[in-house]
Amino acid sequence: MKKSFIAFLRRNLAFSELAIVANLEYRFNFIIDAFVQPLITVGIEILLWLAIFKISENTMLGGFSKESYLAYGVWAPFLGRIAVSWMYESMMVEEVASGSINVILTRPISFYEYYLSQMMGYKFITTVLSLLAPFAVSLIYDLPVIYSRIPLALSLVFYYLFLIHTLSFVISTFAFFMTRVRALTLVKNLTLWLLAGELVPIDLMPPYLSKILLILPFSSGVYIPVAYLTGRVDAELISQGFLSTSISILIACAIGNWFWKKGLQEYTGTGA
Amino acid sequence: MSIFQTIRKYLSLYKAFFKASLVADLEFRLNFILLVLAEFIWYSTQLVLYEVIYRHTKVIGNWTLDQMRVFVFLALFVDSIYMILWDPNFSKFNDEVRKGNLDLLLTKPINSMFMISSQKVSISHLPCLAITGVGLIWSLLQIPDFNWMRLFWLILMIPSGLSVIFVGRLALNSSALMFSRADFLQYVWYSLFRLGLRPDAIYNGALRYILLFVLPFAMVASVPTRFLLEPIEIGYVAWAIAMPILLMTFMNWYWNFCMKYYSSASS
Repeated sequence: MKKSFIAFLRRNLAFSELAIVANLEYRFNFIIDAFVQPLITVGIEILLWLAIFKISENTMLGGFSKESYLAYGVWAPFLGRIAVSWMYESMMVEEVASGSINVILTRPISFYEYYLSQMMGYKFITTVLSLLAPFAVSLIYDLPVIYSRIPLALSLVFYYLFLIHTLSFVISTFAFFMTRVRALTLVKNLTLWLLAGELVPIDLMPPYLSKILLILPFSSGVYIPVAYLTGRVDAELISQGFLSTSISILIACAIGNWFWKKGLQEYTGTGA
Repeated sequence: MSIFQTIRKYLSLYKAFFKASLVADLEFRLNFILLVLAEFIWYSTQLVLYEVIYRHTKVIGNWTLDQMRVFVFLALFVDSIYMILWDPNFSKFNDEVRKGNLDLLLTKPINSMFMISSQKVSISHLPCLAITGVGLIWSLLQIPDFNWMRLFWLILMIPSGLSVIFVGRLALNSSALMFSRADFLQYVWYSLFRLGLRPDAIYNGALRYILLFVLPFAMVASVPTRFLLEPIEIGYVAWAIAMPILLMTFMNWYWNFCMKYYSSASS
């Protein structure tokens, strides 16, 4: 039992390291992805919030101060970048659609696990390096960030990544049945982006809508961790985030497993 | 070959591209429907942002919600045109370079920039163009005493704004010829383009001038919206005419410059 666990851990660490090395190989590419793109987004969002507060007669908006929105604007794009999977989902879909999945099917590791460990490795290195930027900005401008809350907030984001990966797995199994799946990834990721609260804090939305969005697991990717970090909500919502994410992972796993089995029955591996 | 013959040649080519794209896009019907849906979600997010914010404030920059809706629908309308005409081609440009397919395009007896930017037409964005056009008209109906003759300014302003997007995207893509892996240029583009999806009134000082004259994203929708809603400033009219010429001249030079770095990837 212990031996098999160590073997499991070793092979997953190996694939995580592989992802880290592969992504750091093209450093310029990585820097733009992890720093420059979110920083430009942060800049634009901050200017928007400053413009809103400049004209507004109130110093508070929806019960929160300008600094609170600036803190939200600084952290949300970075966490939003972590809590999404474009690259690995495309690779998974391509693997199934092109038939190169044959190689993975013959290995002593599952397709799900193979890509999960790689994605987690990539997300880990992205988190470690890219979060230095919002951390520094928050310190320099003395934004209302509760630093002791970072570990729990990031734990939720990484737990949410299991759901994201499981959804990517579900989408990739559709490639067994459909010729083109890319549009599904697009629809799914844009929907999650809208529901996660990266665009605008969920607490600003109409109460009935924000209630629904908070019940859904997708707010665990951006809104809940950022709101917790910036003092807009307390730990109770974090617990709710863990719970809704857990339930969703179970549902997504069941769906993914069903499609995977059906897909393998349909699939004919070709190639030499 | 006279200029009219050249234009006719390019138009007939474009017609052929359109037909081929239509057949290709409609071949996978579910994928087509999902692509249309994805675009509607993306456009909805831009509308939701302002609808939610205006629940808590009356003015952003110097625009009310009604005026902001005109801006958003105009920005999305221009974006739809860009998506239909050029986006699929620019999105696969890096792959074309990496796989060596660019060689084939360069050998055609057609302007290489045209060939690279216009081969594929995005049919799935046509419904978005219709919806955003209707949205623009609807938002203008909400403006009291709107002078409908002002819509004629869009004949000048939309092509001007499109030239910013075309040159911006192609210039970034051309830079990919100098790198072995240049996916990041796409990321940079998506971030920069967000500058055009926000009203220029939120930018102050030097940044505002940069967005008008250096990286002129304000010309995509902000300035055209001002032409519809505010008194016309003659300086902007002159800039809207001169800017596309300057940008295309720069692009032509930059394209040839970057091509010097291109080494064929095919065998």
